[in-house]
Amino acid sequence: MIIEANDLTYSYGKNLAVDHISFSVDQGEILGFLGPNGSGKTTTVKMLTGQITPQEGGAKVLGHDVSKDLKIIHEKIGVCFEEKNLYPRMSVKENLEFFADLFDSSMNVDDLMKKVDISKWSDKRTETLSKGMQQRVMFARSLINDPDVLFLDEPTSGLDPISADQIRKMILEEKRKGKTIFLTTHNMMEADVLSDQVAFINEGKIVALDTPENLKLKLGLRNLKIKIRTGKKFIEETLPLDGPDTPQKAKKLLENKNIATVHTQEATLEEVFIKLTGRKLGR
Amino acid sequence: MNSSCIKAIARKDAKMAMRNKLLLLALFSGILFSLVYYALPSSIDETYSLAVYDEGSSQIFPSISGISSEGMSFDTFSTEKDCENAIQNGNYIAGIILPEDFDSLLLSGHAPHITLIFNYDVSEGTINSIKYFIQTLIDVVAFGKQPLQLQTEILGQDMSGMRTPLRDQSLPLYILMALMMEMWTISTLVVEENALGTLKAVLVTPASPFDVITAKGIVGCIYSLGVVVVILILTQSLRGSLPALFIGILLGAVMAVSIGLFLGSLTKNITGSYIYVAVPMLVFLLPALLILIPDVSLSALKVIPTYYLVNSFDNILNNGAGLFDVWKDYLVIGICDALFFVAGVYALRRQYK
Repeated sequence: MIIEANDLTYSYGKNLAVDHISFSVDQGEILGFLGPNGSGKTTTVKMLTGQITPQEGGAKVLGHDVSKDLKIIHEKIGVCFEEKNLYPRMSVKENLEFFADLFDSSMNVDDLMKKVDISKWSDKRTETLSKGMQQRVMFARSLINDPDVLFLDEPTSGLDPISADQIRKMILEEKRKGKTIFLTTHNMMEADVLSDQVAFINEGKIVALDTPENLKLKLGLRNLKIKIRTGKKFIEETLPLDGPDTPQKAKKLLENKNIATVHTQEATLEEVFIKLTGRKLGR
Repeated sequence: MNSSCIKAIARKDAKMAMRNKLLLLALFSGILFSLVYYALPSSIDETYSLAVYDEGSSQIFPSISGISSEGMSFDTFSTEKDCENAIQNGNYIAGIILPEDFDSLLLSGHAPHITLIFNYDVSEGTINSIKYFIQTLIDVVAFGKQPLQLQTEILGQDMSGMRTPLRDQSLPLYILMALMMEMWTISTLVVEENALGTLKAVLVTPASPFDVITAKGIVGCIYSLGVVVVILILTQSLRGSLPALFIGILLGAVMAVSIGLFLGSLTKNITGSYIYVAVPMLVFLLPALLILIPDVSLSALKVIPTYYLVNSFDNILNNGAGLFDVWKDYLVIGICDALFFVAGVYALRRQYK
């Protein structure tokens, strides 16, 4: 296992932010850590990356204890923060070169900028860049040491759909290279598309952990939607796929010669989350 | 400790400080402030006012005061006590007590016994020059070298130091001002890293909090040294014992940086940091300001660490002191530096973790 967390716990004063959570991520996997704002996602990232020390339990990254072996861990991980934390009065290239120096990395900054499509902004101060461009620079920064593990905290938060899609494509490319990725997000579509496993976190606890497919199949409702034309109007019938009398009802409806459309409807991760927690996933 | 991280952070900080208009202004304002040096008088008023108690109502002494229209002025007092009080109040630089038989002894070729009274803060040089003046004037009046018994009496504690022109006395202020600006710069760099969240990004790399602090300390010390040397060159004051001077500047730079690191760790808000820095800055400048005011005792300021810097800079630049003379001050500064640095590292580590 590349990431292993056992009973991880952290509280800010009396507020229990992360409550005895356990999970593991295998090499080349993406774990989508899905939860609403304040659910404990970022606190978990902070513990796994050594920004804060777990108060109970423990975790290992690449086989090293996050409470003891930070120096080794830091050399092999890349972190992309939720907040935009670039040096504003330094150019894109200077920002990346500075972090390359910190890692003593031999990675060619120009090649990296080309890969993340930020070369044309190379000499621009980051304070002049849009949010989307800054996010790309931060993503590039997290790759500067060619890390084995990537921690991406809300990497597409607040981005326009095109920029968000480009970041997602880059995440998948890193996965293809065999990198292990811990992705926190509140975007269920993103988690669904990118993740091998999804962990739902709510009020500091993991309430479900499985593949997106399994979660939807186990916990979501699947429907069959049949639209029938009646003169100038349409009637739509929705049948739960798991309903006991659905096969008979469906057969009867499908015999109708005025069928307009037939659809199956899958549950979304958001619906599964609502079912499990009674609250919405939105921010 | 990771030397390549320290090097990278120091290089980045040096670049960042040069691109921050506010910090640049702070650095250069220290230099510009030092140019006040040229607006201050380069010499002291050499006209001495003397209080006289003439016990025997001498006929000769008025003619002495008559020929010394330049350089000295005399006022006669009716009692010796009044004469002393006037000196202690700072109205006169010295007093002359003439004996009852001054005229007869002088005319008979015997040495009259004259007492010269000085306040404790009058310099050795001034005492000697007044003695010389009195002897010369009497010689002129008596048409030849006259035997005199000049006895010196110091009122209060004897502080036979040197009177220094205001211009030179203000030099420690410029140096301290530059160091305080550096303190502000460093605290701003720390607060800015926190406020921007960039520190978080740095601390998930192989760089440790100690590396970050050390790098900022190095940059701060280099800037401090540079700015102070520029000030000393501009004011043509690069003099005295240079090893003692540079060790003092270095100790001062370390102090400024350590305090800056400590103050910078107290807040994550840039505006708030200005208040945290402004108040200590005024306190730390006090010794350099008060040294400019005559007759003000600085002993109460010994609780302020910068007192020892000001004292040693003043002694090196204005009184010809060397390393041997100021080592006690440097020892105190060194201890303060170590304490502030430990406090700064502790406060920052606490905040980063």
